[in-house]
Amino acid sequence: MRKLLTILLIFFTTTTYSQCVSNQSFTLTPPGPYQPGDVVIVDYTLGAFNGININWIHAFQINLGVGWTNLVPLLTPGNPIGSTGNWLWDVQHTYPGGFNFGPGWRFENAGTAGWGTSSNGPFTMRFRVTVGQTCTQDDLSISMEVFDDCTTGGWANGNCCNDPAFQIYNGIVQVVTPTTSNINHY
Amino acid sequence: MKKLFTALLILVGLTTYGQTTINPDTVCVNAVGEQYFVTNTVGSTYQWTITGGGGTLQTGQGTNSITVDWGGVGGLYPNAVEVIETNATNCPGAPVLLDVFVLNLSGNGIGPFCPGDPTTPLVGTPAGGTWSGTGVVANTFQPSTGVGNYVLTYTMAGCSTTINVVVNNGPVTGPIQHY
Repeated sequence: MRKLLTILLIFFTTTTYSQCVSNQSFTLTPPGPYQPGDVVIVDYTLGAFNGININWIHAFQINLGVGWTNLVPLLTPGNPIGSTGNWLWDVQHTYPGGFNFGPGWRFENAGTAGWGTSSNGPFTMRFRVTVGQTCTQDDLSISMEVFDDCTTGGWANGNCCNDPAFQIYNGIVQVVTPTTSNINHY
Repeated sequence: MKKLFTALLILVGLTTYGQTTINPDTVCVNAVGEQYFVTNTVGSTYQWTITGGGGTLQTGQGTNSITVDWGGVGGLYPNAVEVIETNATNCPGAPVLLDVFVLNLSGNGIGPFCPGDPTTPLVGTPAGGTWSGTGVVANTFQPSTGVGNYVLTYTMAGCSTTINVVVNNGPVTGPIQHY
């Protein structure tokens, strides 16, 4: 009875709170805070993707606050020991199940569409963003979300559905307003 | 050497940061080409607005320095000069304002006098200025100065106005005759 309880507990924990992503890291160049017009290079690495119950990885979505503009991909993720196919850059893509993705990279499996890639990583990617010209303290958050079969609908077995967005930056635009001297009269 | 250094320090301070103009600023009625400025910041533009006093912006809109011609009606004009700076990232700063007092001087009409007339006070409006000219002593006119036409000047805060004063010959009366 005790063993059964333990097994059930492990199962419950795995199915409810499992996270298939691990060892995420990033580099911001330059580091914040940021002012209007600043150009920032973001390097992001997903160290490992453990696709529980054959959940394959499908996409990396970049979530940007409204203060960012001019998102440019610089380095496409690799596909070590993965399925045949390619990572595609997409601003927006709707999966057959209706899930809206983008912007970011999504894997297009050359064999069977909608399967993603069997690779466990690591995946390293780079992109560039620019702080928009603004006079308000707009949101400059940056986060990455990893989507797999669970989200895209390619393999709905309930796992890997709870990977939270990975926060890379959480700040606001450092607005610079001029300080004018007093008026002088010659 | 120490005095020179101090003077230079003050000069640099005023040029770079200081406000030398006291609020309200004072200009003469109908003054032309009056220059106003704020400290320049590279990349910024400046939007000036002139309100009241018959003032019109003549040159320099968009820059940190402008010239203004003022009108003919004296008085205090609150917030007559306004500037809003916009920096290189297109963000505006807070408006900076300056009140302007347009000074319209006038003097009382006096005379004509005879040389023997008593000393007469000179009254300028607004009060507080200084009278000058031939026959003027401590803001009074002395007809005993002699026969002639005199131009007297009333000066205040860099502005001035004039009045004309005449001292005529007195009658020359002959000896009393007995027919």
